[in-house]
Amino acid sequence: MATLKELKSKINSVKNTQKTTRAMKLVSTAKLKRAEEALLMSREYARKIDEVIKEISAKLASVKESINLRAFAHIPEHKKVDMIVVTADKGLCGGFNIQTIKATLAKIEELKNQKVKIRLRVIGKKAVEYFKFVGIEMYEEIISLSSAPDYKKAAEVIEKSYADFVNEEIDNIILIYNGYVNKLTQKVHTKALLPVEVDTEAKDEFLEVEPSDDYETILESLVKKYLEYTMYYTLLDSLAGEHSARMQAMDAATNNAQEMVKQLTLEYNKVRQENVTRELIEIVTAIEAMKKK
Amino acid sequence: MKIDIVTPLGRVFEGEIKEATFPGIEGEFGVLDGHAPLVTTLNPGLITIKKSDGKEEIIAINWGYVEVTPEHINVLVDSAVPVAGSSESEIAEAIEKAKQLIKDASDSDALVATVEAKIESAARAL
Repeated sequence: MATLKELKSKINSVKNTQKTTRAMKLVSTAKLKRAEEALLMSREYARKIDEVIKEISAKLASVKESINLRAFAHIPEHKKVDMIVVTADKGLCGGFNIQTIKATLAKIEELKNQKVKIRLRVIGKKAVEYFKFVGIEMYEEIISLSSAPDYKKAAEVIEKSYADFVNEEIDNIILIYNGYVNKLTQKVHTKALLPVEVDTEAKDEFLEVEPSDDYETILESLVKKYLEYTMYYTLLDSLAGEHSARMQAMDAATNNAQEMVKQLTLEYNKVRQENVTRELIEIVTAIEAMKKK
Repeated sequence: MKIDIVTPLGRVFEGEIKEATFPGIEGEFGVLDGHAPLVTTLNPGLITIKKSDGKEEIIAINWGYVEVTPEHINVLVDSAVPVAGSSESEIAEAIEKAKQLIKDASDSDALVATVEAKIESAARAL
């Protein structure tokens, strides 16, 4: 049985932890608000550029052979792909990072079975640490980008993949990240970015591109913009998701600490009562014993 | 037809329109209902929108893409300033912002001057 002193210090330590988790929750709430705003502002653009690029791709389907752009070409067999994984730099956000990592491992397994080579490019300290720990080889490690999304840096990351894609070094870019749905939910997304292929029937439609003598340049710049923006938006989405996950995790931790304090206090009171009772018994027994004499 | 103008900082304009004019890379062009599918880049300049109720709306842009289909127009621009406002001071402020946007985006003085003149005359109509 623990002594009163031990229990007291345990209660205090739990209370301190609770203070920390509550503060962290408040910080996350504030950060989430900012991340959410940034996300909502850019959401329309991200959706629109996605829509536009897919529409163009569908329309170009009939003339695909004549277009000299790999991004719109049909690649029958994928030999090597780039996998870009985005996680947070920090932990303490529940299953946020591990969900992404699990999804990545599943995808790696799937691609390995199809005999596709993978180049893993990892953004976020948590995933980098994990892959190092389990000994999965990484092609590139990027730290401190996911906690402070920056358009230029995001563009640089995807640019490298795109350049290799154009050089036919790789055949696809797969993006895996945990995105924000609402304050209570996050969702792991696995997106294949290139080549831009659409599920719907290819429309045999005419599409005019101006300037017509240089349409490849404009389509390519549009594809680049699409990739850059998707990458940037992914970082924003992931950051908002991270904060919402952390907010929840810290909220749960605060509640658990509360529960623990309650339990410990109960135990403390029990022990104290027991001590009082025992002492009383001792006194009474002593008195009784003396009376008999 | 429908038009949707978005920037990385959010949506600028969305709605049903009769007609729209864009500063295309190969010159200004107008779009009416049933326009042939088209994709092009946009130069710094003004997008003029004629809404279904006949009212005009002017939006200054620095650079972007436009995708036209017979049913709708999608405009993706880097930055946009609607030349509008409910009071005179608001309009004046919007004009200043629009001019600055064009100035920053373009290195051709002639273009800047033309666009500025257009903004002024459009603002008078407001």
